[in-house]
Amino acid sequence: MSEDGSEMAPVIECREVTKVYGGGRAGRKASVCALDNVSWQVGGGTIVGLVGPNGAGKTTLLSLIAGLLFPTQGSIRVCGHPARSLEARRSLGYVPESPAFLSCYSARAVLKHHAALHGLSKEAISTEAERALLQLRLEECADRAVGGFSQGMRQRLALAVALLDNPRLLLLDEPSNGLDPIGVIELRRILNEVRQSGATVIISSHRLGEMERLTSDYVFLYHGRIVKFGRDKVEQTGHVRIEFLPGSPRVTQDVLAPYDVVEESDTRLVVAVNGVENVPGVVGSLVKAGALVTGVALEMQDIEETFVRLCRERAS
Amino acid sequence: MKAYVLISETFLRKTSLRLVHLGWLLAYPLIFLMPSLPETWQWGGLVFAWSGCLLPLILSAGIFGDDIASGRIRLVATEPIRLSELYIYRFLGLSLQAAAHLLAVGALILLLHWLTGRGSLDRFAAWMLASWLIFNTWAALSTSLSVVVSRDHNSMTLVLATIILFFPLYMLLLFFEDSVGTKIYHAFVRYGCPPVEVLVGLGQGRYSLPGGVASVAHSLALTVLYGAAGIVLLNNREFKYAAD
Repeated sequence: MSEDGSEMAPVIECREVTKVYGGGRAGRKASVCALDNVSWQVGGGTIVGLVGPNGAGKTTLLSLIAGLLFPTQGSIRVCGHPARSLEARRSLGYVPESPAFLSCYSARAVLKHHAALHGLSKEAISTEAERALLQLRLEECADRAVGGFSQGMRQRLALAVALLDNPRLLLLDEPSNGLDPIGVIELRRILNEVRQSGATVIISSHRLGEMERLTSDYVFLYHGRIVKFGRDKVEQTGHVRIEFLPGSPRVTQDVLAPYDVVEESDTRLVVAVNGVENVPGVVGSLVKAGALVTGVALEMQDIEETFVRLCRERAS
Repeated sequence: MKAYVLISETFLRKTSLRLVHLGWLLAYPLIFLMPSLPETWQWGGLVFAWSGCLLPLILSAGIFGDDIASGRIRLVATEPIRLSELYIYRFLGLSLQAAAHLLAVGALILLLHWLTGRGSLDRFAAWMLASWLIFNTWAALSTSLSVVVSRDHNSMTLVLATIILFFPLYMLLLFFEDSVGTKIYHAFVRYGCPPVEVLVGLGQGRYSLPGGVASVAHSLALTVLYGAAGIVLLNNREFKYAAD
């Protein structure tokens, strides 16, 4: 534990955070509730994916943690310090959705500029800038004006800026935007290095397949509300596949109510179970109905399936 | 280093700023070449109007607004730097540019006057001081306005507001010179707005030494007031994605 006691604090702590946009004067603009009473904690050394449809509040949540927005209600702490405080900002690196730089600056100048804002010495600024250029493989374009950079290069430069001075928390909003496949592989490598160093990474992205390979935990957001689930929960909310001996009596939906039969054949049933604890009940019902069960296996849901399922559930 | 990068950024942020300085400097020799220049022409007054009042509006255009609109501020504002520092160093960047610019203008005018003998250099040092002071006041007001006005509309807003503010004063003075309302309005424009009238008086030598010191103090106080308002606005500002 550090002297100020911040070592034990969660890296991110959101307490009953609500964010309402707009309303305008005299209520001419409709107000929009982007986040509704969100409470969430994240510890160190994890990569958490923020998942949700457009307008779910992912960017708002990242912006609130980064201190770019003020919560309408509730509080946010980063590494034990209030969001937007100098100490909180010292602990984090942020990559916005569309990073922008002064177009006349070179990549090296941008990195030195941001390293200087961290209060580093002249020598440390140069060392950090060169390290970041190497880490993100930007050496070849280090002295080119940023104005001529492609979106992918800007994205890499933004990540290099965010990684300056080894932040304890990295916030990434659509980090793979504009990255080519090699860039995405590089991003994965860098983020794993960051995680291994004990830092926490929060990623908001629509690329669910990519998220699945990057993250160790998910947070699902829908209409400003948060549904937290980890990988273990994803596995438990899948389908159960049950194998029978040929010649077993046909099982009707009534036997399995209230569970839905997703797939059906003479020797196999796939049933949507609401948690692993319901599997014995389903199997018991089948055995009672005379089915000769030879195998039971949980079918894991990947993040895409979970995303679609949760969206449907919430929408209904 | 933090101060250095933030101060130098105010000069390097647009290539056009170097051209603006050059263009503003080139205007002086061109005026020297004008055939119809009256012999009583005051070089100090011209520096006050051209470099003291107009230059800050050009240099401070979009100084925060461009960053806010482009989203660049979302990167800068998450760095471990106080937003008040960001404001102060940006203002200092403008003020130092003005100091360097006015030194170059002073040297240029002295050289041209020595070569041609045209115009008057009466109270030139006082005019130069007044020019730098009025530059700072306009720059602080424009920078603060840039925190809340999108893109580089802060300068144009200030020009329009000045015209709108001064036109009624002119009319009021014309028709209701002795009314209380006119006097209050006049006092507000004189002491609450950038102190053009007061500093012109300083340049023209209308004040005694204490009066001159008071006018300098008044100008500095207004600069601090405008700056403080800008810092409060910046500290309470949200940096949303895609502001425009």
